[in-house]
Amino acid sequence: MKLPYQCIEVADRSIDSGNEWLLFGASGSKLIVQSSTGVQSVWPAEEDEVRHINRDDEPEEPPGKRVKLSPAANPELNVSCVTLSSDKQYLVAVTAEDKCIRVFQINSEYQLHELSQRCMARRPCSIILTPDDSTILCADKFGDVYSLPLLPSPDDEEIETPQNEQTEPVVEKPYAPAASLLTVHSGRNRKTLEEQLKQASKGPSKPKEPLKFKHELLLGHVSMLTDILYATVDDRSYVLTADRDEHIRISRGLPQAHIIEGFCLGHEDFVSRLCLSQSGLLVSGGGDASLLVWDWFNNQLIERLPIRDSALSYFESNPQLTSILPEDRKNFKVAVRGIWDLASGETTKYEILVACEGIPALFQFTLGDRSKPGAVISLNGNALDVAFLGSSENTRKMIVVSVDNVHKPGSTTAVRDSPHRLQCFSRQGNGEWEENSGVAQSLDWFSRQAPDGNDNAYAESNSIASDTKDLAAVRAILYGLENLRKRPGAED
Amino acid sequence: MAGEPAKRQKREAYRQSLTTEEQNIALPKKKFYRQRAHANPFSDHALTYPRGPADMDWASLYPAHAVEKTGEGAGDDESHDRDRDDGEKEKGKTITKPVEIADIGCGFGGLLFALAPKLPETLIVGMEIRTSVTEYVQEKVRALRAQNAAPNTAYQNVACIRANTMKFLPNFFAKAQLAKIFLCFPDPHFKQRKHKARIVSYTLNSEYAFVLRPGGVVYTITDVEDLHVWMRGHFEKHPSFERVSEEDEAADECVEVMRMETEEGKKVERNGGRKFVACFRRVEDPRWP
Repeated sequence: MKLPYQCIEVADRSIDSGNEWLLFGASGSKLIVQSSTGVQSVWPAEEDEVRHINRDDEPEEPPGKRVKLSPAANPELNVSCVTLSSDKQYLVAVTAEDKCIRVFQINSEYQLHELSQRCMARRPCSIILTPDDSTILCADKFGDVYSLPLLPSPDDEEIETPQNEQTEPVVEKPYAPAASLLTVHSGRNRKTLEEQLKQASKGPSKPKEPLKFKHELLLGHVSMLTDILYATVDDRSYVLTADRDEHIRISRGLPQAHIIEGFCLGHEDFVSRLCLSQSGLLVSGGGDASLLVWDWFNNQLIERLPIRDSALSYFESNPQLTSILPEDRKNFKVAVRGIWDLASGETTKYEILVACEGIPALFQFTLGDRSKPGAVISLNGNALDVAFLGSSENTRKMIVVSVDNVHKPGSTTAVRDSPHRLQCFSRQGNGEWEENSGVAQSLDWFSRQAPDGNDNAYAESNSIASDTKDLAAVRAILYGLENLRKRPGAED
Repeated sequence: MAGEPAKRQKREAYRQSLTTEEQNIALPKKKFYRQRAHANPFSDHALTYPRGPADMDWASLYPAHAVEKTGEGAGDDESHDRDRDDGEKEKGKTITKPVEIADIGCGFGGLLFALAPKLPETLIVGMEIRTSVTEYVQEKVRALRAQNAAPNTAYQNVACIRANTMKFLPNFFAKAQLAKIFLCFPDPHFKQRKHKARIVSYTLNSEYAFVLRPGGVVYTITDVEDLHVWMRGHFEKHPSFERVSEEDEAADECVEVMRMETEEGKKVERNGGRKFVACFRRVEDPRWP
């Protein structure tokens, strides 16, 4: 069994002989690259992962012992987000478990060369680059957005904790609790104070190591952030952030990100994805039955697109999926996993593609036109991510879809084993999407062969049912959105 | 806890007595509303909050200031129509003027009831995360209004709602709606790993700046010097705020009310503790870069 690609990205490049593309995929802990010219590479490369060393100081060690080099070779570390610089020279990836932002240079042989690892204090949920590619914006699980230089200069490394850091400077003086008997008014608190004093007599606890690289706190929500966008309108830049508590916040861009310009409020469940359409409108989706379309600049809701209804009718029209539906259709819920602007190139018709968690289809909507339901692209497995090939001519007519090959279509729990991790479609003249076998053929290595970072774990046990623990881990990588939903009856 | 059922019974009996006796104008008894002094601002409490400021029902909180909605022109703020795309009918009442003062973490409402007579023309709202404490303040508002029945309008300008403002402040207030925000004796969250739960932080200050109009003021008071230093540091660092000078502070009657009339302020006074005051003015946003 190969792990599916949790994220894919495409870089288009102009070369002398025309255009070419590079497809990047994150499968478990591995990053896979394939170009339109057929060049393939994998990070971490085998020779990178292990190397032969001869240590003179330990002569007893057998020479040529294989030692794991970087923690990234660790299959426990899974890539959770990937983004490309607009010049297509750099790829930024986040490994979830160590909260690490990794910057890679894409070299002329299409190999990924890791330039830096910066482990954040909180797990990054979404990362983007500013349009000039100078700065990474990292939105984290605790609601904060930090800016980091894409390429740290040597001077930056010297900087200890920047001023904005919320941790107190470590001072070498005996601990004195901030509370005193005057400020503590209840018996329980007084006991706590006594505890603190007792603890203090044992000596100071080890302080948390401050982050040793340049990073600046820009803004923060008191909620988990789910997505972040950077937008520029009339020379003014904005940061758009979405959170689990239904908010979409519009802040000014750098360097005035502390100023909030407005909020787009209207979601009734978590917001998980933001997408700026070419029309200038913002489309947001999450746990609600509708996608909301915003004139975000004026904080105005323009329309609602019925994603749940579209998904429900897709399930109902498909005999294999109907059985999965809950008895009471009211309990059928969707969680939006991705929204992509289709950039049709026309200025009168703005279309988007939408993927929902655990649903084997992509749903197409036309903004401002609810007269007829949009097209549905049926998939062989649950949609995970979408990337556009050859979109350099301002039209997006060819898509690569990462599909879940280890879970049954429509389910996030029932397992199966299918070799194909990608599907390719191209748009016909009549606007219909058709599977493109030619491109699929050229991506066959990427889809079926490329390693997935869990080779060792699955080498011996090719049967999927044998390792339920690993399956739970796989599920955790692929399907986390439903966990964002608030549970009724939360404590008071 | 052993005492728990008896306590609950007494509280229920007490509340029963409130509803059965008509024309009850007696002030509520605090002992039936006590609640643990801390709440976790990060957890998903069973909160109710409006989708956005336009959906907030202020009219039922300030009935003396409510008028029937009259179609067009009834809502005075420009965000009036937003979120109402699906032909949702405008209905019910609206208030004649927006709420301008928020007491965040109002506790048992000492500040609210002291400010209300001093600023009779201004609508004041207390926001408190603890259910029982909120109920106490709401009961007290009801009783005080009943005692000062029409044509007297005392305490018609004060109300209390349960809210987690750290998460949902922008759901209640529109941009630049507020003139004053009070943060009185907030939970100090002494432990370092709990500092993120403090009501003042660089990132939250952006939200206070958003709902405050330029020239508006955030008032802070605490008896914990550490927290005072923390709040001062985070507001002074934030470019949208400037510290109010000591002269202006001394001239502001709200500062005196905050020092002497808040429940905690009185308690600290009794215990001979110190009180640290700091006020911060919202400055105009700078030009776009």
